[in-house]
Amino acid sequence: MIFVMGPLFSGKRSYARTLCGEDEMIVDVQELAAPGADLTALADRLAARYRVVVATETGGGVVPIDPGERAARERAGRLSCLLAARAETVVRLFCGIPQALKGELP
Amino acid sequence: MLTLVIGGSASGKSAFAESLLAEMAGPRVYLATMRASDGESRGRIARHRAQRAHLGFTTVECPLRLEDAPVPEGAAVLLEDLGNLVANEMYAPDGAGEETEQAVLRGVDALLARCRDLVIVSVEVFSGGDKYAGDTLRYLRVLARLHIALAKKADRVAEVACGQAVYWKGGKPT
Repeated sequence: MIFVMGPLFSGKRSYARTLCGEDEMIVDVQELAAPGADLTALADRLAARYRVVVATETGGGVVPIDPGERAARERAGRLSCLLAARAETVVRLFCGIPQALKGELP
Repeated sequence: MLTLVIGGSASGKSAFAESLLAEMAGPRVYLATMRASDGESRGRIARHRAQRAHLGFTTVECPLRLEDAPVPEGAAVLLEDLGNLVANEMYAPDGAGEETEQAVLRGVDALLARCRDLVIVSVEVFSGGDKYAGDTLRYLRVLARLHIALAKKADRVAEVACGQAVYWKGGKPT
C-alpha cells in the first residue's frame, strides 16, 4: 500500500490518480476515524483493501477548543501513523510536489 | 528564472527571498502587495522596508493587477506576497473576484516575459486542519491552486522554516 498525505489542497488526489484507478484508492480517510472506531483494525482493513490511501494532515494549527474536534484531530493523526507503519511507501505532497518519507517514490 | 518561496508567518521567508535577490544581477524591483490600511500594516511595511534598504530595491506598489506592474526589462523582481495579492484580488471591490486565479497567472507570465529573475513569496496556511467554510475555504482553494501551478512553472521551490530553506524543486544556486 502507498500512503499519500499532505496539507489541505496540496495535490494529493491528482498525484494518487497517477498511481492507480479510482477503484483502487480511497481519499480523506481522516474522516473515517470516527469516535470509538478501532483504529488498528481500520488501518489493517484499509491497507489490505486499497493500493493507495490518501489522508489530509489536520494536526497543525491551534488545538481546537471544541472537544469533539479535538478528539477527531487526535484520531486522524493516530490513524495516519498506523497507515504509514503498514505502507511500503509514504509520500508527502507540497504544492503538488511529491516527496518520499518512507521507501522510494513509485 | 522563477523561484517560489513558501513559509509560515514569521518563518524568515522574506529575509531568505531577499538573500536570493542579493545574488542576482539587474535592477532590483520589490513588488509590494500589502495595502497600508491600519497601524499594524504600516508597521509591517516599515519593518520590511528597513530590512531590504541595503539591497537597493525600487519599491513598486502592486496590490492588484500584477499584469500592469511597471517592471524594467532584465530586472530581478521580488513579489511579496502572493497570499496578500490573492486576498486583494478576491475581495477588493476593484479586484478580479472570480477570475483571480487566471489574473494572477497572466500577471506572472507577463512578468516572466520581461524580467530576468522573479522570486515569489507566499504563505503556508494549509496545515491547520480541514474544517473551513465559505470565504476562507474559497480563498484557500484559489491560493493552493496557484501554489501548484506556480510550483510546476518554477525552476526552484523552497519551503522556509525558522529561516532555513528546504528545496522541494531545483536547489541552491551554485
